[in-house]
Amino acid sequence: MADTEEQRNFTQTQRLKAAVHYTTGLFCQEVAEDKEVEFSKQTIAAIAETTFRQCEIFARDLEAFARHAKRTTVNAEDVKLTARRSNALFSFITQRSEELVSNNQEQKEKRKKAGGKAKKKSDAPLQSGMDEDEDSNMA
Amino acid sequence: MEASESGAAFKKETVFKLLSLYFKDVKTKVSNDAVVLMAEMLKIFVKEAAIRASKQAHTEDLDCVQVEHFEKILPQLLLDF
Repeated sequence: MADTEEQRNFTQTQRLKAAVHYTTGLFCQEVAEDKEVEFSKQTIAAIAETTFRQCEIFARDLEAFARHAKRTTVNAEDVKLTARRSNALFSFITQRSEELVSNNQEQKEKRKKAGGKAKKKSDAPLQSGMDEDEDSNMA
Repeated sequence: MEASESGAAFKKETVFKLLSLYFKDVKTKVSNDAVVLMAEMLKIFVKEAAIRASKQAHTEDLDCVQVEHFEKILPQLLLDF
């Protein structure tokens, strides 16, 4: 049944590529409006494909960093290491990481005050259905 | 609710699946913060690519960004990431 699994992996890859392509299109649209230019469809496709492939490099790096630190869960520190090549990028990611940490602290304190069930969110492995954090990222 | 994060963004689930796709070890997991940060990284990657390509097109006095403009900025982009 290796064929079916291959097919399933293929379909999932296709779906992911499509998702990346869609979001890439949205970003290009924003830049297009901002810089008053137009992006050809091939360009958007090329950027999407490159982003998709760059993910492989990121993923391998992240896994290697986590393993080096003897962890099975990739965390924010690993992501910061991935951003090491460019100073500006590194500063930005470090800043975002600190914002996230302080957001998480705030939320923890709110929950403690409310006296609700203590749910550990920030460093727990990701599970589906996390919607709250998206709001906290509004800058 | 206005658009989150002032515009487009990669969905957390997409980022999570994208990364998991290339993990060699099945036990490797990703923390929530890491997913959010990676989504930011990817957003910056795409935007850098788009902006640099558009600047390249602008340098050539064109207002339509073609693949060749993207190709010209691609090497430096990959080195910077």
